[in-house]
Amino acid sequence: MMFRLLKKEFALCLHPTSMIFAFFGLFVFVPNYPYEVAFFFSGLSVFFVCLTARENGDASFTCTLPVRKRDAAIARVLFCAVFQCALILVMGLAIAVKELCLPAEMQTNLAGSCANLALLGHGFVLLAGFNLIFFPWYFRNPVKVGVPFLTAAIVQFALIGVLCALRFTAPVYSDLLVSPDPANLGVKAGFFFGGLAVYLGGTLLACVLSAKHFEKTDL
Amino acid sequence: MTALNVSNLMKRYPAFVLDGVSFRVEEGRICGLVGANGAGKSTTLKGIMGLIRTEGSAEIFGIPSYEREAKAVVGYAGGGFRAYPQKRVGALANAVAPFYSAWNGEKFARYCDRFGLDPQKKTSELSEGMRVKLSLALALSHGARLLILDEPTSGLDPLSREEFCDTVLSLVREEGVAVLFSTHIVSDLTRIADDIVLLSNGRLLVEEPLRSLAEKYLAATAPDRAALSGAIGVKTVKEGYEGLVPRDRQMKGVALREPTLDEIIVHLEYERRNSGGAGAL
Repeated sequence: MMFRLLKKEFALCLHPTSMIFAFFGLFVFVPNYPYEVAFFFSGLSVFFVCLTARENGDASFTCTLPVRKRDAAIARVLFCAVFQCALILVMGLAIAVKELCLPAEMQTNLAGSCANLALLGHGFVLLAGFNLIFFPWYFRNPVKVGVPFLTAAIVQFALIGVLCALRFTAPVYSDLLVSPDPANLGVKAGFFFGGLAVYLGGTLLACVLSAKHFEKTDL
Repeated sequence: MTALNVSNLMKRYPAFVLDGVSFRVEEGRICGLVGANGAGKSTTLKGIMGLIRTEGSAEIFGIPSYEREAKAVVGYAGGGFRAYPQKRVGALANAVAPFYSAWNGEKFARYCDRFGLDPQKKTSELSEGMRVKLSLALALSHGARLLILDEPTSGLDPLSREEFCDTVLSLVREEGVAVLFSTHIVSDLTRIADDIVLLSNGRLLVEEPLRSLAEKYLAATAPDRAALSGAIGVKTVKEGYEGLVPRDRQMKGVALREPTLDEIIVHLEYERRNSGGAGAL
């Protein structure tokens, strides 16, 4: 059933920005740029998907199909997670290409984290934070998309600000994580897998809470 | 067989209460759900479809209406078909089809042909009447045995309404489906409904076959109110006062005639208001 719902999401709810913003992982080729901003755009594409769904009367339509209401909410979270993972994948590939093809002096980023494995870990945490704030709130009332998005985006930007500030204020952090790969690869891998665990746990929790809230929502 | 059994359906909003509504729709019959604006028609239908949380129960062919097995045999269209205006008819059918094991693509194509629906057209390009037909085509292509339609004729011109009524009648005859449709256009009811469920201010006022309701009352008109003592829903009219009286009741000094269904509904509603909102009559 979940596969059918995901198929329906792709057929009826896909917003072009979801695909476009997934390619913002290529930001890592921009010199001296806070690469974490790419993860904000991922949240923006979720906002557009949910806004379009509202304008299309998607929630009511989906719930009249032979599906459980809770599954409809979980499918939406998973649908958006597909594009979040696509962003991470694009960014991961771009980082690999950058590290292999560009000279060492172009690997340094004066505006924030370098394009490395730890950046992907940061990305997972930022996306998990967005999912945890946005989706359970949104599914309390799918008509109101703006306030949950604004709140999640503000928290995301605050976290991005903290990560950028750590680049300049915490030497340990800066030395270990902001250096280009393969320096400190073990620690960076730890951040990557830690971030992945946070993302999986956070998104799973977002699914559970969204389903619970959506069950109680009057459409 | 009972297609739909609604029992004691309740929903509380801050300014409105759907108060224990119960009724049945039998297979192969068309049931009109009527009432004034805000009477609770859409709330009832949404409650049946599980779009809102309600107390009480609704069973579709004996299965709780929120179960997937129950929804699989229902075709629902709420407030015209306004979902996904930029999607093409064919794309919509393709997205819906995997949810129904009984989906029949050939049948959908046949209904599109019969209703004049172009699968390449966007739903926003369809007229109100054609959107209703799209809902019917989608519903019937997955073998729906119960159609629940929320005000399918509102916004339609008289010719389209007539066409809708013809379509529903022929579908009931050919497919044996049961239909529950809400409306406040009483002429549609007279045209196709077998049974009537009248809601007023969130309460069930009447549930009975349309014919027996029509044969139950006479409209009584008198120049003074006292002559209509005991009549139902007395209200002022040009000739004085008018109310409903049971057909077998003897009355003197009043003019009696056959009431229209509209008049019956209006007088029953007046009676409810005059008596301070009592329940079913």
